[in-house]
Amino acid sequence: MKRKVHSGRKLTESQFGFLLALPALAVFGAIILYPLLNSFAMGFTNQSLLRPGRQYVGLLNFERIFLDPNILQVFVNTFVFVACTTAFSFSMGFIWAMVLNQGLRGSELLRGITLVNWIIPGTAIGFLWMWIFNGQYGVLNALLRGLGLIQENITWLGRPGSAMAAVVIARAWQTLPWYMAFLLAGLQAVPYEQVEAARIDGASNFGVFTRIVLPNMKFIIFLILILGVIGNLQHFDIIWVMTQGGPAQATTTLAVEVYRRAFQNWELGVAAAIGVLWVLLISIFAFFYIRNLERDS
Amino acid sequence: MFEIRTPWQKLVFALAFLCIGLYVFFPTYWMVITALKPGQEVFNPNPTFWPRTISLEGFREVFLDQRIWVYLRNSLTVSLSSSALATLVAAYAGYSFSKFRYRGRKTFMYLVLTAQMFPLVVLLLTIYLMMRTFGFLDNYLALILSYITFVLPMGTWALKSYFDQIPDSLIESAKVDGASRVMTMHRIIFPLAIPGMVSTAIYGFVWSWNDLLYSLTLITSPGKRTLAPGLILNYMGEFQSSWGTMMAASIVVSIPVTLMFVFLQRFFIAGLTAGAEKG
Repeated sequence: MKRKVHSGRKLTESQFGFLLALPALAVFGAIILYPLLNSFAMGFTNQSLLRPGRQYVGLLNFERIFLDPNILQVFVNTFVFVACTTAFSFSMGFIWAMVLNQGLRGSELLRGITLVNWIIPGTAIGFLWMWIFNGQYGVLNALLRGLGLIQENITWLGRPGSAMAAVVIARAWQTLPWYMAFLLAGLQAVPYEQVEAARIDGASNFGVFTRIVLPNMKFIIFLILILGVIGNLQHFDIIWVMTQGGPAQATTTLAVEVYRRAFQNWELGVAAAIGVLWVLLISIFAFFYIRNLERDS
Repeated sequence: MFEIRTPWQKLVFALAFLCIGLYVFFPTYWMVITALKPGQEVFNPNPTFWPRTISLEGFREVFLDQRIWVYLRNSLTVSLSSSALATLVAAYAGYSFSKFRYRGRKTFMYLVLTAQMFPLVVLLLTIYLMMRTFGFLDNYLALILSYITFVLPMGTWALKSYFDQIPDSLIESAKVDGASRVMTMHRIIFPLAIPGMVSTAIYGFVWSWNDLLYSLTLITSPGKRTLAPGLILNYMGEFQSSWGTMMAASIVVSIPVTLMFVFLQRFFIAGLTAGAEKG
């Protein structure tokens, strides 16, 4: 900012404003815009990490992807993972927010401790849940045996169905506080007079929830669900730590698949082609998200 | 907001409290307890819910490991720099979007906001090649540049909403008093947005500290590794035998971000939910 304009003329207000936004726009261009466009183009080439240069190969990568019998599995896994983590974490977070909003003594403290789950590294969370789901010494098996629900230990992370359930539970555990924080703020902004008026009309708790709370929080609920879906769609850490996408691809989501193709098989072109399909998928969500933001402001 | 009077209502409330409370808090408790158990108690098919003997064996093993100290130092370097830089860049951008009018402003604003939507791993394909071409592979600059960008959407919008609340008349009167635009911004406006700056800085620190994908890929030499990938490469191979140590290591990586959060919680929640309350 110290550089003076040579002619001695001062910058106009709008020039100055633009200059302030320039660093942000520069890193945005270098780290988001260019990589996005280039990765898109890469999807139509045979780019590899093993040799320099690349040739245009048309739709070959897409052909390979669609002919791969495992790819459908990856899309299904992604759908299951995203739908389950978002729905489970959101509903638990919402109930938890309502419980803590009741003004019980110690609620503030509980809210603070809850947020710790969200703040700690995904790597640590992955380790922790791997240990809980451990087939030999895991506490989950011990608890279920103690309750008489199972007789034999289950190798949770070694079976396709339970491995998916395990990563969903771990990821939902990480994001629950995030939903809670937003929903708690939303709950506190619900006009109290409306609740009281409904009470005078004889509304039950359920009536207050459906007729006052939900309509007032429509916008925030929509917002965090969209952001939640987008976040879960790209989630990598916990799955990578707990299962590396296994067993037998059962927890391989799009993020894991792209990483594996690119940085373990060195096939950047194919990885990028999957990315192209993925970005098209996200654009649908992004469209609704931005349209809603605009309508709000 | 809800009535809890009848026994039925009390039961529902208590069940919700207990079930979710257990889900939220028990795992963390289990992590701490496991880390404090001596080796042979960790490997008990019928685990003890309260350790019979408290032992710091796990922590000792973590701290005697030279690699952990290297990772800690590396993570601190990267996280502190990217957090500071991200806050600065976001503050300028947020101020620009809030108080200035120029062509393209709205487009830029929404562009920056979309930055969190694109799959990070897809961007990484190009970023990896780009950094390799420029010789920034295995260089913290690659990580720091990436982290700044990913923190921008949250940071810019949180700070913009702070600046929006500051009346324009304040800027006008500073101008009348003869303060330059740069001075007004740094000396008068930015100090008023300190809570927003703090929450952006924490967010930036936590983001960089916790990232696995980029640090796993862009940093390749063992001496430069940061904590998240370092722990995986340290323990994943030998995990069958060292759960106590792994839990201790997990606690060690979690402590800096947790402490930061505990001290600055109020700022952080206010910043995080600044947009939410308007909705």
